[in-house]
Amino acid sequence: MKLGNEISADHLTDDELSALAVPPTGAPEPLPAHLSACLTCSRLLAEWKSALFALGGEDQEVIAHRPAEDWRAAEDATLAAIRRAGAPGRGRARTLKWALPAAAALLLFGLLIGERRAAAPVAFDDTAGLSAEDRADDALLRDVDRLASGQEAGSGWSALAPDPATVEPAPAGEKRS
Amino acid sequence: MKLLAAALLFASVATTATALPDLPEGKWWKRPRIAAEINLTPDQESRIESIFSRARPTLIDLKANLEKKQGELQDALDDANADRRAVAGRVEAVENARAELQKARVMMVLDMKQVLKPEQWDRLVRMHQEFRRERLGRFLERRRPPGQRPR
Repeated sequence: MKLGNEISADHLTDDELSALAVPPTGAPEPLPAHLSACLTCSRLLAEWKSALFALGGEDQEVIAHRPAEDWRAAEDATLAAIRRAGAPGRGRARTLKWALPAAAALLLFGLLIGERRAAAPVAFDDTAGLSAEDRADDALLRDVDRLASGQEAGSGWSALAPDPATVEPAPAGEKRS
Repeated sequence: MKLLAAALLFASVATTATALPDLPEGKWWKRPRIAAEINLTPDQESRIESIFSRARPTLIDLKANLEKKQGELQDALDDANADRRAVAGRVEAVENARAELQKARVMMVLDMKQVLKPEQWDRLVRMHQEFRRERLGRFLERRRPPGQRPR
């Protein structure tokens, strides 16, 4: 199905959902009419958007969970590496001016990467084993999550603004309140 | 040394501004793999289920109320004659309804959190973050042209 306002009986493909959640041009894509009629696709799009929405804070959360010992170890390792390089002379002092924060940044990056590799993802969306009642509850909770956090599909001002193609121009001189 | 301290301080300050914990979606306590991963006991599962059962009617009502208010706002936006004050009032009603729903949801999750041991909760939140990151990776992979995707 093409992006645009044509109605399609086909569900949106992953590529189409991807393009809607992260518009390749950087500008929002027009929402396909299929989305307003299809709960499945609308839910899928909301899930992708939700993942993107939450991504911003993730690295910060990972760093926030670092214990104090890790921070101390990072600092000690950095200072030890600097000491191994020898006593700083005049020229070396200038080099260290930028080398210190650079080394700290590299160490932090290394800790982050290590953290990411440590934990294997577990499927959170596996609803296969749930009873019909549990599945209905599951859907309710997901809807509540999305609605409460304002991430529901079609939310926001872009969804509220009428599609310019379907709006007739207002007559000249119409009073605006 | 000052620069190093400043770099570390910046990193720690920037990261303590985390808001609400990342809450797991759906009926996670009913998923065997998650339950196994955090060592959820049958008693804990039963208590969490009770918390949800008590909250369910409220969540259903508040969700319906929010959707109703959203519908009313949409009607006002679709109405060419709607005045600004009416629209503003409906926007406020939507946001109030959303806040009520959010409050009920957070209170429910807070009660659930009390049932879990801190390490179980931490593991649950971490797992959720990993899952989202992995899902986003798959998602972004889809955005690459087919020829550039790894096989």
